[in-house]
Amino acid sequence: MKLRLLFLFLAVFAIGLANNELFAQKQKKSTQVIILHTNDMHSKIDNFGKLAYLADSLRKTNKYVLLVAAGDNFTGNPIVDMYPDKGYPMIDIMNKLHFDATAVGNHEFDMGQELQNKRRLQATFPFISCNIDAANAVVKQPDPFVILKAGKLKIPFLGIIQLGENGLPDSHPSRLEGIKFTDGIEKAKEFVYLKDKYGMLICLSHLGVETDEKLAAAYPQFDLIIGGHSHTTMKEPMMVNGVMIVQAGSGLKFVGKTTLTITKGKITDRKYELIALADIPKTDPEVQAMIDKYNVNEEMSKVVAFAESAFGSQEELGCMMTDAITARMKVDFAFQNGGGIRISSLPQGNILMKDVFRLDPFGNQVVTFNMTVKEIKSLLVNSYNRNKSLDLVPSGMTYMVIVNGEGLCTGVDIEDRMGNPLDETKTYTVGVNSYISASYKFDHTDPGVTSFNTTAQTLLDFLGDVKKVSYAGERRASEKK
Amino acid sequence: MKVILNNTELNIFKGATLNDLVLMYSERSYKMLKNNKLCIYDRFGNMTEPDGPVYEGQVFFLKRAE
Repeated sequence: MKLRLLFLFLAVFAIGLANNELFAQKQKKSTQVIILHTNDMHSKIDNFGKLAYLADSLRKTNKYVLLVAAGDNFTGNPIVDMYPDKGYPMIDIMNKLHFDATAVGNHEFDMGQELQNKRRLQATFPFISCNIDAANAVVKQPDPFVILKAGKLKIPFLGIIQLGENGLPDSHPSRLEGIKFTDGIEKAKEFVYLKDKYGMLICLSHLGVETDEKLAAAYPQFDLIIGGHSHTTMKEPMMVNGVMIVQAGSGLKFVGKTTLTITKGKITDRKYELIALADIPKTDPEVQAMIDKYNVNEEMSKVVAFAESAFGSQEELGCMMTDAITARMKVDFAFQNGGGIRISSLPQGNILMKDVFRLDPFGNQVVTFNMTVKEIKSLLVNSYNRNKSLDLVPSGMTYMVIVNGEGLCTGVDIEDRMGNPLDETKTYTVGVNSYISASYKFDHTDPGVTSFNTTAQTLLDFLGDVKKVSYAGERRASEKK
Repeated sequence: MKVILNNTELNIFKGATLNDLVLMYSERSYKMLKNNKLCIYDRFGNMTEPDGPVYEGQVFFLKRAE
């Protein structure tokens, strides 16, 4: 009987130990785990062959190599973003490289929630974020964290996404419908128990380095914060409150290599190295073949028009974009916000389709309104006062804002194409992009209607019509102080 | 929004990138940045890519590329 009780006690004790993750972690004496990490790749695929070669080389000589991304895998390369199945090439190649996890970045929402779901289903790795509540949204709820294994070691990675002043990630508000976001630093509090459970904790952060610093100051439980969003190229890691913070630039020009030494279930050493992928001498031939296949996109290299003079400023490019809206949508006026003009110059010569998508990569739609002169002035005044600087590039008019001593716009003088003042009794048709419609505050009784055409497609159609363009020196907005 | 570059406060539109900020600061600096003669550093001394976002109150510096 005593023997039976002893066996029972030992069995219960053994089960208890097996369930204790921390105890299990402590079984190993000393293990090295290499984490290769990217962030803000923004659909740039050209260096994936070199990254694959590097990862495979390390995997041949090291038992445990993890490959992770800290968010913003998409938006920034029309080859990927305008692929018939948007974003497909990026995930296809990331799968081929055996990525283990990615944080959800703000630009993961640019393609819309349904397409994000599609890309996440395509991925053989999880998208993680702890401060997204998608219970009432189209997008699938991401897991807050993932446990990655290195042999018997279990390493928790917690995902966090940045939020702007409006409490939303930096993406078009219409693409975030139904999703609740909570402050990442506050939300992280719920997950620091992972440190106690597993003996270590890593954050896959899409917060930006300034917020990463605050996160580290608040939670010394993090051993490592692999950062993204701010496009910071860290040659050396930052150490805050004992937490190591690393980040590897943007556009897959660099990869971070952080080597963890884990002794008795705890991280006892951390070494970080920034590797320029340009310095990797070889490329993986299979991955390179995939890149080459995706880059051969005859449609993107198609000449859509000829620039008779170089575009030297965002304003000149904005004039072309708004002229496209007035011409194609047959509206009186159009406006383009400065933040939506994503390149600042274009050389004289052929304009290719891919130039249009570099200029306007967001997939915003054209929205039209019927507006009085007073309402148009409200848009112009408020747009100036958002940042106390000229913002909207117009078509169909020129305007001059009157600015007071505090830098605020107090009025605006508008002239039509012929140099005549607008008719205050008339209602005009106005086209703007959906970003302006959703996020700019201005008086308008007409709620607006979408054309279901993107601004980029509208520009392509316009360029196809006119064939040649020249906007050198074009200025349509000015300020009087 | 107000962002500081080389101790100069600049008032730039929301959604701007560091490219926009440097262009607002000085066209000459912008050209040097594009020609890899200048690099942008954040308040911690980390180099930052020109396509990175800028936010209210941030502080950056331009330095000659090494």
